[in-house]
Amino acid sequence: MQKPARLKIVNRFGVMRSLPLGKPVFTIGRKAENDLQLLSDSVSRQHAEIVYEDDAYYLVDIGSKRGTFVNDQQIARCALQHLDRIRIGGDEDQQIIFLDDTIERASAIFDSSPRLTLTPQQAERVTSANEELQKLARFIEVNQAFKFSLTPDDVLCLIVDAAIEITQAERGFLMLRNLAGDLEFKVARDDGRSWLEGADFAMSRSVVEEAFKQNRSVIINDSREAASGIARESVRSLDLRSIACVPLRLFQMTENMDATTVLKRDAIGVLYVDSHVIGGTITETSIRLLESLAFEATKSLENVRLMHEEREKKQIEQELGVARQVQVALSPTAFKVPDYFEVAAHNIPSRYVGGDFYDFISLRDERSAFALGDVSGKGVAAALLAAMAQGALQAQFTSNLPLAEVVTSLNKVLVQRSASNRFITLFCATLDPDGHFTYINAGHNPPVLARANGETETLTTKSVLLGAFDFVEYKPRQTRLAPGDVVVMYTDGVTEAVDADNQMFGDERLEKLVREGVHLGAEEIKQWIMDEVLNFTAGLPQGDDITMIVLKMRQR
Amino acid sequence: MEIQLRTSGSVTILDLSGNLTIGRSEENLRETVKRLIDEERRFLLLNLSEVPTIDSSGIGAMIKSFTSVKEANGKLKILKPSRMARQLLSITGLLSVLETYDDETSAVSSF
Repeated sequence: MQKPARLKIVNRFGVMRSLPLGKPVFTIGRKAENDLQLLSDSVSRQHAEIVYEDDAYYLVDIGSKRGTFVNDQQIARCALQHLDRIRIGGDEDQQIIFLDDTIERASAIFDSSPRLTLTPQQAERVTSANEELQKLARFIEVNQAFKFSLTPDDVLCLIVDAAIEITQAERGFLMLRNLAGDLEFKVARDDGRSWLEGADFAMSRSVVEEAFKQNRSVIINDSREAASGIARESVRSLDLRSIACVPLRLFQMTENMDATTVLKRDAIGVLYVDSHVIGGTITETSIRLLESLAFEATKSLENVRLMHEEREKKQIEQELGVARQVQVALSPTAFKVPDYFEVAAHNIPSRYVGGDFYDFISLRDERSAFALGDVSGKGVAAALLAAMAQGALQAQFTSNLPLAEVVTSLNKVLVQRSASNRFITLFCATLDPDGHFTYINAGHNPPVLARANGETETLTTKSVLLGAFDFVEYKPRQTRLAPGDVVVMYTDGVTEAVDADNQMFGDERLEKLVREGVHLGAEEIKQWIMDEVLNFTAGLPQGDDITMIVLKMRQR
Repeated sequence: MEIQLRTSGSVTILDLSGNLTIGRSEENLRETVKRLIDEERRFLLLNLSEVPTIDSSGIGAMIKSFTSVKEANGKLKILKPSRMARQLLSITGLLSVLETYDDETSAVSSF
């Protein structure tokens, strides 16, 4: 059993935390894996360790760049004594103190911190000008704190402490609206920077109500004399002399030509301070500072919220990335191309996962099957349906069902299983070594067939898209591909790719490219068309997946 | 999108105006067709002459409407699709299922 000991860490704004040293090796450094992470640049990734040996704690520098210090002396290894001050590199923002819990706690140490000079008890009333200056200094200090990566609770705590100091009040509360619309205590502090215990506090509810509902600051000085009707009774019964309450609002900035307009929004909470002390009046300046403080508070809360949202978005993107990998894994990388044709395929998803899919399947007797589909809609749901359709096609083709049966039964499954607004357009074909090409076009953009002599035609069977009507029988058509003939199958992401003027790439442009490129190899044709599409769009983000298969018959 | 109803004999003509795209307009079409079926008006003609754009949700609404009418032993046909709408109906193969006319008189008499 280790001797109980802790590190007390106080940042320059007086926010404290306590870390127990419960393990044989406690690590300190800039990396997140450390038991104590310090974000300063002057702290090495793995900076120091506190090891427990022979009933004692030793601070050990583990090859840091900027050194480790105990009571301002640089050390390599040093036995820690109760109340030793530890400095890690040049990080002066944190004061770290080693506390041996077996020795009586000396909490006074924190009062000696040079950073924490402004407790109201200490604040002697030299001149009022000096006081206002101090308040301003405090305010600026808090402002700086917002630039540091503090947790939301740290920020709220700081705000209340600063509010107490600015107004020289005795207590301060910060309340935020919860989902039900009721105000909830978030922070309750006294003027000694300690947390007030309890879930509820005796305070002027009517002042809070007034500030929150009317969305305006309420100030009551020497309330026993206050003529105002607001809160008189409750104020009296609590014997409060000074109360200030300002609403916390989310602001919306609108940038104009030369001015920034701030729109007043609903209150999301209140910042409240009060005091029993006679004559502890709240000045105009401190109210203005309090309002500025409330403004900063909501701004930083909003920043924290945005940061969380950003993090969530990243996570969703990661999940989509995984789905995308699954989808890529379904694409036919392992397909062994027979020697009578060559094939090249390309897919650019508009998001991480799209509704386009394609497949090549080896059939008996050197025959091959091709499928290119587009599920309506985008995202994971579309990708899942695409994966399901692809799987069904593969299973049915490999059990040697004829094309018409494969497509007809896939349609029936889709009508029964998929949501009423999801459809699949599909071009599906089989190719025999003698060039016999059988195809069904179920509502898909007609592929371009270019003959070796430069003539082109489009491949359609006028069949309806899949997933719409269960009574449809899909009937194939046939053609014969001669050596040198090229078939380009594509999704509408190709022909509907848009340029900066919102002009579409179009069927005709594609057909022309295929005609002119018919003498090239499958891979070259694919690359050429892709380059032309990307040139056309000039890097503009496209709304749809772009997918293409180029098939070319070899000379035999 | 607006839908105006008129009748010609046993046929109810739905004059659509505006885009038939995701959201209110496709819901509007599906709800209107459902209401007409409930009122036992089962011979419906969708006039698309004032519908410039149709997206996949709009296609979905048309398919859904066609299926509901068919299940009620009725008929749903299309009148005067715009050039773009006709192209979309053609590519998606819907022209092979949805009877389409360019002339109202012959459309009405075909029921």
